[in-house]
Amino acid sequence: MNEIVSDKSWILLERCPIQNEHDIVKARQVVRQFGKEAGMGIVDQTRITTAVSELFRNMFLYAGGGEVLVEKGIVDERNTLIVTCIDQGPGIANIELAMTDGYTSGGGMGYGLPGSKRLVDRFEIYSQVNKGTTIRVMKWK
Amino acid sequence: MEANTEIKNAKVRIEHIEDVLSSVAAGDLDIRIESEIEDDLTGVEQAINLLIDDLTHELKKSIKMKEDMEDKLRKIQDQQKTILQQQEDLMELSSPVSKVWDNILILPVIGTLDSQRTQIMMENLLLKIVSTGCTTAILDITGVPTVDTQVANHLLKTVTAARLLGAECIVSGISPAIAQTIVHLGINLSNILTKATLQSAMIYAMKKNEQLVDGKVKTNFTDIDDIQL
Ligand SMILES: Nc1ncnc2c1ncn2[C@@H]1O[C@H](COP(=O)(O)OP(=O)(O)OP(=O)(O)O)[C@@H](O)[C@H]1O
Ligand SMILES: [Mg+2]
Repeated sequence: MNEIVSDKSWILLERCPIQNEHDIVKARQVVRQFGKEAGMGIVDQTRITTAVSELFRNMFLYAGGGEVLVEKGIVDERNTLIVTCIDQGPGIANIELAMTDGYTSGGGMGYGLPGSKRLVDRFEIYSQVNKGTTIRVMKWK
Repeated sequence: MEANTEIKNAKVRIEHIEDVLSSVAAGDLDIRIESEIEDDLTGVEQAINLLIDDLTHELKKSIKMKEDMEDKLRKIQDQQKTILQQQEDLMELSSPVSKVWDNILILPVIGTLDSQRTQIMMENLLLKIVSTGCTTAILDITGVPTVDTQVANHLLKTVTAARLLGAECIVSGISPAIAQTIVHLGINLSNILTKATLQSAMIYAMKKNEQLVDGKVKTNFTDIDDIQL
């Protein structure tokens, strides 16, 4: 179901399950740490960490959890940190709507997805109703 | 030499060896082969006895190792329990609301704001607003590493609830990196009064309360719980 293709040359840094709020915190720390190791400044670290925090939380809230892959590799000739969030939740029927500022199906603010997109250099989303959602974000170093 | 070439009662003794070996295989390590006669087979019998000795020794060692491991595991599990307990304690501890100055409450928020902690934090703050009658509360988020939509949402709710109780909240300690991130996220925090540092929030609050006039602190008030600045 994963229509978001990976590059074989990328290196898997860590695989994090997201089952509870504690996992969100842990995975977020992992991403921040690898951002730091990649040589990102504090602003970029904060951006990627906040962006993935939104995605992890969505996975936890709407899909009952999922899995996160943290990878590094060369994308467009740049050193890139790649974070892929995979869940087997209900999926998103209307991606355009979900990506709209202020749209929420629950009691959120509706800025998670569009905000996350603005905070990263690449944002890919693939979702199938009743199958799940895969979202990948990338941040250049 | 001649005597050694012939083996007495060979059949019986080999059967005995077989018996002993199958006992050992069945787990009986106390059994040994008794050799009454000294000949070629005795060597084999003694070698087997040595083997059983070694086996016994190894087995004891591995049992001991297993026990050690189990012991260590238990200790780790205990430690884990303690850590979890401490985390829960910390959760309560790290939302201490204190009245630092007349009419001013400070809530330093440290660590991650998950929904459980935010709930506790919000309740503590609101209770303290009611019990002290303070009309200014400073929420300092210097110690919060990530401000995402959920944290922002919680902050907004806390500020709104405090306002309903007649207290104005000031959120301080938003780092430049977090400020930029909030802007990119698109969250509108313009309804919240924010200050870069706890100090500037404190100065603002004291000026507002006319406790700080022309750079001088007026000292005609009492009731200082504990001073943290
Ligand atoms: N992994 C997912 N699986 C299913 N639905 C999702 C998933 N992620 C997001 N959605 C849907 O997309 C909507 C928009 O998500 P977004 O993160 O932008 O806002 P929110 O979570 O509602 O609020 P906020 O993130 O601002 O607190 C959600 O309300 C939810 O319906
Ligand atoms: Mg969200």
